[in-house]
Amino acid sequence: MPLAEAELWVENRLGLHARPAVKIATLAQQFEANIIIEKDGAEANAKELLSILALDCPQGTRLVLKADGPQAREAVLAFTGLFARKFGES
Amino acid sequence: MTENNRILLGIPASPGIVIGRAKVLSDLVEAQPAAHLLYTTAEVDEELENFRSAVEQTEEELVRVKEEISATLPEQAHILELHLMILRDRLLSGETERLIKEQNLNAARALYLAFQKVTEIFRRVADPYIKGRITDVEGVYRRLLGRLTGAGLGSPFASPEPVIIVARDLSPADASQMTASQVLGFILERGGKTSHTAILAQSLEIPAVVGLDNATRELAGAEQIILDGLTGNIVLDPDADMLQTYLARKQDYEAFKGEMAQCGFLPAITLDEFPTQVMANIEMPEEVSLALKYGADGVGLYRTEFLYLRQRQLPTEEELFQDYRRVVEAMHPKVVTIRTLDIGGDKFMSPLQYAPEMNPALGLRAIRFCLKEQGIFRTQLKAILRASAYGQVRVMFPLISSIKEMQDSRQLLDAVKEDLRRAGQPFDPHLPVGAMIEVPAAVTLASLLARHAEFFSIGTNDLIQYALAIDRVNKQVADMYQPLHPAVIRMIRQVVEAAQAGGISVSICGEMAGDPLYIPVLLGLGIAELSMNAMAIPMVKRIIRMTTAEEAREMARHALDLATVEEINGYVTQEMKRRFPEIARFGSSLVGNQRVP
Repeated sequence: MPLAEAELWVENRLGLHARPAVKIATLAQQFEANIIIEKDGAEANAKELLSILALDCPQGTRLVLKADGPQAREAVLAFTGLFARKFGES
Repeated sequence: MTENNRILLGIPASPGIVIGRAKVLSDLVEAQPAAHLLYTTAEVDEELENFRSAVEQTEEELVRVKEEISATLPEQAHILELHLMILRDRLLSGETERLIKEQNLNAARALYLAFQKVTEIFRRVADPYIKGRITDVEGVYRRLLGRLTGAGLGSPFASPEPVIIVARDLSPADASQMTASQVLGFILERGGKTSHTAILAQSLEIPAVVGLDNATRELAGAEQIILDGLTGNIVLDPDADMLQTYLARKQDYEAFKGEMAQCGFLPAITLDEFPTQVMANIEMPEEVSLALKYGADGVGLYRTEFLYLRQRQLPTEEELFQDYRRVVEAMHPKVVTIRTLDIGGDKFMSPLQYAPEMNPALGLRAIRFCLKEQGIFRTQLKAILRASAYGQVRVMFPLISSIKEMQDSRQLLDAVKEDLRRAGQPFDPHLPVGAMIEVPAAVTLASLLARHAEFFSIGTNDLIQYALAIDRVNKQVADMYQPLHPAVIRMIRQVVEAAQAGGISVSICGEMAGDPLYIPVLLGLGIAELSMNAMAIPMVKRIIRMTTAEEAREMARHALDLATVEEINGYVTQEMKRRFPEIARFGSSLVGNQRVP
């Protein structure tokens, strides 16, 4: 099973609030992979909106994305892009 | 007023006056659904089926509402998308199903427990904005529970005649289903002026009062109520006199509102053709559209602290530049006045470590801080200069108290210009540089400072605080914070005279500039540039357009002759009532601080 990992930074002004969390969950649901977002040891399932919100990530948070499953690599690439674009926000 | 009228007071959340019958919506959230144990597998399966069909129906309903409003209210459509996702979330629906299956609980009780768990999880979230999303979870929970218990079937607003809705709380999704034909206004027990629901009411132009404790109980028996979204007053079963009073008030307000809306886009010129500029104060690029909507002639104060306070590390030059450029381009060809960082060292989360100060208002802040932390200052100046290539930019330095500070800041600005020139990056070489007049020392030095600045901007909030030695947050002395204090208006006059002698412009950008009451006196003192909360712009323009510079000067002269602030306040209030009776009545409702979270 492919395993992939990436470091991500929350760079948009408002942090992982409702709109980015919706985008993350929507994106994650498109991949055949388990995708976990980790923050200081706490974990959230990237496919679950409320668990992303509950991770409490304001601007400047460092996250580790871990994916495993057939599409793990693709998922990590897609997420790196989503975070780099700051979810289309400022 | 007679004793027959009962009046309750809530928080005005959306302006307007409506009169009608109250409809109290039944309360779902507060009731804790009782637990029933399911004894057979068949019962469990049936309950699971009930729950799943409630989820499906709720989903259909949300999708339908989302489609209905997506064209007119795209922001709210996004909220519904969020609600759809919450509906299917493992922590809510998944947990409910688990409780039904594993603990043999009835669906309503299981859902209630799942919601309690989510509430508990969100209680531990620190970021206030993310934490606030629990209200969205609650909205979905209430909808689902309504489906399960049958209490929420049909549109909650269906009624043979338009009504005033009274409820403990309404989710934005509920509120977005309101139409003016069914709902005259609404009254909620919960919420504040900046809740999603309040903002939605404002954009739908439905009058609303929120934060009215016990509203559902108090208003249950009323035949007719008056809702005044300007003051937050709710009148129960008004008598004929009261009704007459409010009908007249309603008519006046609507006429006033219509007239105001037209003023924003007219030039701010006095009856005797003295031209002025009415500009907006902003804090974020997102606010530019609001400024333009209300007819701002430019941005007179762009506060730049937000990016520094929000994040844990310092913003990069590129981040700052992108924000500034967005504002400058959107406002073009109108001017954007950027105030450099006005912040104290103790406000930084990291990487800078400064101990909290005993007296931050007199401490290391604003230009003092920037001249000490020159690296931070240079980065900001560079970003501002780069943005100046994209439109009309001015820069101003806050809390100037000496000529030296002005010289040092300009020197730094020149050095940064040189860097940019060498790097071949474009900027406006003639970028006007201003001094903010906020410290009494700067007032005294104004004639000297005028040689070192291309414009002055009087920051009245700080100037009043320093001149009168009043901390306005301190309740013991807050009432001594008086913008028309004889000392303050003399200071303003002194600054205007120094600016005129030096041939530079002078503007005012404190809250004072957006208060209708002070406009004629400020004009009369020689102020031709005012910057304020965007919502106040149309009204301020209207006052300017109905005043002559000559009579404003006469008012200022008269105010300067009076020895106490009580006399001055009495005089300008009386003049305002005489000259602009409708603004004296309704003005405050339209200048409120509307913040969009």
